[in-house]
Amino acid sequence: MIRRSALFFPILAAWSAVQLPAQESTVYFSVVATKLFVVGAANPNTGVHLQHPSADTGWTHIGPNNIRAFGVAVHPGTGQQVIYIASGNGLHKSSDGGKTWRITTGWNITEVLGVCPDPRDAQTVYLTCAYGIFRTTDGCSSWKECNTGIASTFTTCVLVDNAHPEIVYCASEGGAYKSTNRGESWSRMGLSVAGVRTIAQHPTDPEFLMVGTENNGIYVSTNGGRWWSKCESGIDHPTFYTIAFDPQRPSTIYAAGYVTGVYKSTDSGSTWKRMNNGLDVLTFHSVAVDPRNSARVYAGAYRGGIFRSDDGAASWRRTGVADSQVWTVVIHP
Amino acid sequence: MRNCRRHWWALTVGMALGMLTTTAVLAGPADSAFAARSARVLEVAAGESEYNLLTIAAKLKTGHDVPRAHHMLDSLTRDRAMGGMFYCYTLIGVYLHTRDVLPDALARKIREAFRVRTMYRGDTENHWVMYYTGLYLASQTWPDEPGTMWFNGKSSAENFSESRAWLEYWMKTTSTIGQGEFDSPTYMTVFLAPMLVLHEFALEGTMKKRAGMMADLLLADFAAEHLEGSYGGGHSRDYPEDIINPLGAPSTMWAWLYFGRPQFEQWNEVRYRPRHRGSWETVFAALSSYRLPGVIERMALDRAQPYVHREKKRTRNIIRFQSEKNLPVYKYTFMTKDYVLGSLQGGILQPIQQHTWDVTFASPEPHNTLFTLHPFVSARELAMFFPEEQAFLAAEVDRYHKVYTSPDKWNSSSPYEQTFQHRGSLIVLYNIDAGAQHPHIDGFFPANLEERTEDRSGWIFCRKGQVYIGVYALAPYSWIKEEVNWRLRSNVLRNGVVVEVSSQSEAGSFEEFTGELRNRKPEVRNFNTTLTAAFMTRDGKRMQFTYGGKRLLDGRAVTFPVDKLFDGRWMQSTVGTGVIRMTDGVRTRTLDFPRAQVTDN
Repeated sequence: MIRRSALFFPILAAWSAVQLPAQESTVYFSVVATKLFVVGAANPNTGVHLQHPSADTGWTHIGPNNIRAFGVAVHPGTGQQVIYIASGNGLHKSSDGGKTWRITTGWNITEVLGVCPDPRDAQTVYLTCAYGIFRTTDGCSSWKECNTGIASTFTTCVLVDNAHPEIVYCASEGGAYKSTNRGESWSRMGLSVAGVRTIAQHPTDPEFLMVGTENNGIYVSTNGGRWWSKCESGIDHPTFYTIAFDPQRPSTIYAAGYVTGVYKSTDSGSTWKRMNNGLDVLTFHSVAVDPRNSARVYAGAYRGGIFRSDDGAASWRRTGVADSQVWTVVIHP
Repeated sequence: MRNCRRHWWALTVGMALGMLTTTAVLAGPADSAFAARSARVLEVAAGESEYNLLTIAAKLKTGHDVPRAHHMLDSLTRDRAMGGMFYCYTLIGVYLHTRDVLPDALARKIREAFRVRTMYRGDTENHWVMYYTGLYLASQTWPDEPGTMWFNGKSSAENFSESRAWLEYWMKTTSTIGQGEFDSPTYMTVFLAPMLVLHEFALEGTMKKRAGMMADLLLADFAAEHLEGSYGGGHSRDYPEDIINPLGAPSTMWAWLYFGRPQFEQWNEVRYRPRHRGSWETVFAALSSYRLPGVIERMALDRAQPYVHREKKRTRNIIRFQSEKNLPVYKYTFMTKDYVLGSLQGGILQPIQQHTWDVTFASPEPHNTLFTLHPFVSARELAMFFPEEQAFLAAEVDRYHKVYTSPDKWNSSSPYEQTFQHRGSLIVLYNIDAGAQHPHIDGFFPANLEERTEDRSGWIFCRKGQVYIGVYALAPYSWIKEEVNWRLRSNVLRNGVVVEVSSQSEAGSFEEFTGELRNRKPEVRNFNTTLTAAFMTRDGKRMQFTYGGKRLLDGRAVTFPVDKLFDGRWMQSTVGTGVIRMTDGVRTRTLDFPRAQVTDN
């Protein structure tokens, strides 16, 4: 799924300069399941929750519950009116800031794991699911399967290039892929490992890409995916589900995964440190940095809820849904 | 006074059912027996106090404790924590069955539930059957309404169209390449009950017809492997409690209702007490106008002649680590009047709850089964079928299925298990990876066997009533005494068992059976290198099986019948045709799914 912090930075810069310096960001996170989850039984706290950081531990549930919510995204440029939830039921869309919702997909699209709207086109959205990538170009009225060239269609993350919207990246079981024609066809990038779980792009340098993998660590490319090198220094774990750039200071990067705690690099991924002070769980599926405040970082835990740091990950505290499996955290400026 | 009240209630139930059964077809002896059992289901379900939509339906249809039924229904429609595929189809099913007696306020609350309550579609075949059956009937019931009136934001027309498309897809898939969650003593309930509701209330003639045909198919699929209330042989998935006690499974309730077997009421038998006491989906059957075709009833009951029954099924969707979405599953079942010996070919065919083989025998006592397995645990196996992260899938699955990671579990697929069966003889081989989390095999031997003797020949001779079982362990083992069984455990990686099942009518006395079997020891030369076992069956056939290699019968390779969906005495179907022919030698019923036609001859 997309990490919104990466995509919103250029847009944030433009907005901030004009009119919104005092406004707060909005934090969204999705809950797949609670500790009590049994398929078919009550599961009311799943779905999407949001807050403004000043609310601290107060979160508001929006949209449907009981759906196994994996991904959440806000379409840029819509004033946070267009929100998407990727879930077991399909892709949900709200066009009124979360008041009403519609499942935009049919029976042939299921177990939707991630969603990425094209920040420059309100009609174009990509989703990833257990059966590959689908794209709409008509505001979710219809969906087209876009798997040409992808060997293993189990795909967990799709990302629209923040400089060239015709370029799209995805993370699949078979590797990391790049499309130069809006998903019509894909080519495997020059990374030989499989089990790629997430892909992230530098906010201002579109050639700088990073991927997190299952069992193969973190890799970085500085030439748009042609060559990759493994991040070794300070990394002691193999499986990473999330990588997040600090939009204001992009040389600061966070990464997390299976029993990793939260890793932080302040030198563009050359060296890493674990930043686990205050964490009582260590498996995290998503990290996001507040585009308005570099010190504020959120991390969504497997069976641990949502954690917050106000000092750049030097310390953490749980701020909600302690019994829940948080899949995605995004922060909209 | 209390007796009077009970008498009045029974009278009311009887009157209500008399009205219900006026739609019954040809009130012959079988129909009247079915009507009596249906009445009994409704009577007992109506007396349940648990908050359950199906028992509410029974109360409302029989007139028993109607105020309480209204209160229960009101509570279930107001509870915002309710929602999901089970709720979706049962809620509309109850509504459609009872709308003529429902107060308007409750009817409105049911309608409102489909607007405000999120119905989770689920992630497996039975979930989708329930979800789309419910949505099909709800959108049919309340047509021409906008998306704002539905929980998913889609209009009645959109929901109806989507539901119909998926149901047609599922019926086509099931009738041409086989069911994914096939032959499950637990989950057959949540395929069959939705089809009965759909058959009852679908207004489209084709959908109504195909739903009835699916009920035929599901019940015939069960009937062919049914023995005195038990669902024998291999199952795609089931719960350990039901695997070790087949008569406690929900399928027994269906067998009792439709086949009249076993001849006791499951819910009243402490020794068979089902895990799912609330499994009252049979209420939908009791209220349905669907009637079991006579040919299927005979399939379920006529065991005068032993027979081999073969089926082809499919795995559920594989989403990772494999290019083929649905691998074929081959079932082989040998049925007699005394026992069933049935097997799947082995390997990972379903995650979590696979039951690869067993012998199930007719018995008045519980735990009437015997089988072996390798308790496999693998996050990668789970990730083949589920989209969550494989690193924590095992823990997640273990949280709600309880036993997935247990070394002692009684249900498991295993990539290290393969079978070869010929009639009442079976070779099971295990080639367990040294790195396996649980590097052992287990065998379930019920404690109430009348004989369980380790013979010097190496055979373990077992007897229960008239059924005789010989088990030859191909590697050293030990016994563990447990509450209801003896557990055979063997910690050898290259392993296996040879099983021979017989009965008094086939082999004479138990002594004759054991004496004869002593002379037919399996051949296990070079077992540690070739992993090959051979065995001469009682009908003089030489079975030879090499793990990962050929299955040979009298030197000829046995291949799986890839083009047969059903192949046996009772059922015939060719893969891809969607045409299933059922016959008892006199009557023939043909289900033609592409044409939505049923032909009886």
